[in-house]
Amino acid sequence: MSLPCGTRNHNYAEDMAIVRTKTHRVLIIGLLVIIFTAPLYFSNYWLGVFNLIGITLIAAIGLNILVGYCGQLSIGHAGFIAVGAYTAAILTNRLEMPFLVGLIGAGVVSGLIGIIFGLPSVRVKGFYLAITTIAAQFIIIWVINHWGYTGGFLGIKVPYASIGGFVFRSESSQFYLIIIIAALCVFFAKNLARTKVGRAFIAIRDNDLAAEVMGINLLYYKLLAFFIGCFFAGIAGALLAHWIGFLNAEQFSFTESILYVGMIIIGGLGTSLGPIFGVVFIRILQQLLTVELVPFLESSFTMFPSGFATGITPMLFGLVIVLFLILEPRGLAHRWSLFKSAYRLWPFSY
Amino acid sequence: MKNRTLIITTIVCLALIISVMPIFSACGEPSTEGKTLKVGITTPTTGKAAEKGAPMGHGNLDCFEYINSELGGVEGYEVEVVWRDNGYDASKVVTIVKNFMDEGCLMYTTSSSAMMTASMEVANRAGFAGMAAFSSPIIYRPPQHIYGQMPDYGDDFLAFAKYYMDNVWKGSGKPKFAIHALNNSTGKGAIDAALAYADSLGIEILWDGQAGKAFEHKADSTSEMESLTRIKAMNPDVLYISSTPAPTALIVKNAYELGMFPGITIASGHAGFTSVLIDIAGADIAEGVYGVFPTVNWGDDVSAMAKMTEYIQKNHPEDYEKKNMDYITCWAQSLIVAEILKTAVKNAGYDALAAGDADSWKALEEQGIQKLKDYAVGGLHGPVSYTAGDNRLSKSVRVFHVKDGDIVPLTDWIDAPVVKYEEFDWFGK
Repeated sequence: MSLPCGTRNHNYAEDMAIVRTKTHRVLIIGLLVIIFTAPLYFSNYWLGVFNLIGITLIAAIGLNILVGYCGQLSIGHAGFIAVGAYTAAILTNRLEMPFLVGLIGAGVVSGLIGIIFGLPSVRVKGFYLAITTIAAQFIIIWVINHWGYTGGFLGIKVPYASIGGFVFRSESSQFYLIIIIAALCVFFAKNLARTKVGRAFIAIRDNDLAAEVMGINLLYYKLLAFFIGCFFAGIAGALLAHWIGFLNAEQFSFTESILYVGMIIIGGLGTSLGPIFGVVFIRILQQLLTVELVPFLESSFTMFPSGFATGITPMLFGLVIVLFLILEPRGLAHRWSLFKSAYRLWPFSY
Repeated sequence: MKNRTLIITTIVCLALIISVMPIFSACGEPSTEGKTLKVGITTPTTGKAAEKGAPMGHGNLDCFEYINSELGGVEGYEVEVVWRDNGYDASKVVTIVKNFMDEGCLMYTTSSSAMMTASMEVANRAGFAGMAAFSSPIIYRPPQHIYGQMPDYGDDFLAFAKYYMDNVWKGSGKPKFAIHALNNSTGKGAIDAALAYADSLGIEILWDGQAGKAFEHKADSTSEMESLTRIKAMNPDVLYISSTPAPTALIVKNAYELGMFPGITIASGHAGFTSVLIDIAGADIAEGVYGVFPTVNWGDDVSAMAKMTEYIQKNHPEDYEKKNMDYITCWAQSLIVAEILKTAVKNAGYDALAAGDADSWKALEEQGIQKLKDYAVGGLHGPVSYTAGDNRLSKSVRVFHVKDGDIVPLTDWIDAPVVKYEEFDWFGK
């Protein structure tokens, strides 16, 4: 990592530190203060949006580990989120287990299912692997719809999350729960990329043959990537289940799976900040178009028939994504890194 | 240097705009200025259910335009509609309902059962009343804060089966019904009703293997020849389809091509029985198909027809050309919402509703929705009343059939009995 002029690392620990300068520390503390005081100045609706962002972020981090770091293309992520959501629902509703058991159980079961669907990755890669993960999406949803324990087509209720007698009923308490877990996941993913496992993932992504020659066990690390990626999806699913309170298989559509891939591409594949940028960008864009732009157009242009502005939402949404991919194909994380470089060199332009 | 300054300024401005927008939204008091009553409406105007959602949204909004501009609102208060397109996206509809609550809406409506299913627990937890135009038993069994505008997909099946037994079946013994069900709550409603009531109706259900497993199809199915071949081998008397228009039309066409129909009776639940069915299947093929629908048809002699026709012709002639019955459903939905508001204002007073908070939601539900009694909805569908323990506001459907390319009513309103599904062991499993 490049550092501002005059900043040096004197030992290995300093070199490996995540927070390395005073400015960095102040910015992170400032950001955490803003995040943790958000319930004081945001309405329930926006807290709800942030909750959705937090949950999506956890799932996107998992997908980024799988696709961005390890290079294993998965287009069935919503299916793995569904596994986690239904596992948490069954454990806490039908078996009346505590929330934390449901949360961890959701991650583990989702991770194990991920391993099963990740097995073809040993033999196939790229688009072929993508097809097998699409199959995972449809198989999982079919099982959910036809297995009585999940409530089938009718769905299943999920109680509020609770820890040690404290029930997370309000939007703000759910916000704290989700944001803390999301922060832990971000921290884990950031560190994972710098470990032996993370480096093995990157080696496999860059050239799996060369990685194998170097002694990296492809089967082990590819399946480990599937387990970790799907574990995160499971955690996200469990939080989603407790947040919404009711599950139905239609909530985990193939379109959602595609959107998750879009988020990590827009954010920046294989970077720790990429999922954060991608998720915030897509979810906020969705909300602004739905809640701000379309109602604004409808109320401003009353000479047109009601509902005329609805088509604008998907068109604009698609257009913004296309423009992004054309103008910044390396993602928002890359743009952020360019901005930071410019800041470090300031006032010189080179 | 200039470039850098420009970039930094742009980023700071964008960051400020994004961060300030929610703050403005959060700081905004629920609008009581100008004495308005707020309601939230969400429709799948885009997305995979847009064929139904778009005209339904048109019906909702046109009706409130009429109520505000010609009737002077409700009891003198303008109805402020907070309308959002949910795109048939379950995660989006959850935040939309939270937005309704924040905006100070008194209640909300959805057109589809799927979107209500996705959002209902959020509303139930907050005590925020919702009403779905199309509904399935799961949204109000057991009853909480969600209401059904019309009878559900299970009620359709029961009403048709009763009509069939009373008017069509001339054979001896039990007639054999095969159910072709969409693989979601639309299909599941009919299956549950069949499981619960087949014996008492005196009909035999042809299950696909085990009891409770109907012949299934997907919304984007392109052929049902295989499933229909298996059904044909079982010699059914009736093929009942509980689905949306496109797959219903496909199944009717496939049954025709297999020589099953005409010969057996085909009937459709109300989610699939619209003019779109005839458009896709063709008038010749669809001739004689029975259907159940909870509203009147275009051109029927009822009091609300003239004004509704005027507005659809003015604002959405394309819906009128197609004789879209979903528009009628949601025009009626808006009339019911207006009646709920009127009843609540009369019983609880405007001040009790003005804040749009949890107390207002309670007042609206207890003094508005639960006080509804025999509201005629301009004759557009069966009378609307609240009965304790039954959150279906209208309990009546009519049986129609396709005759000479038109949908023609065969009966007056038939009441569907309340079914306490939650008392059956198999419900939800």
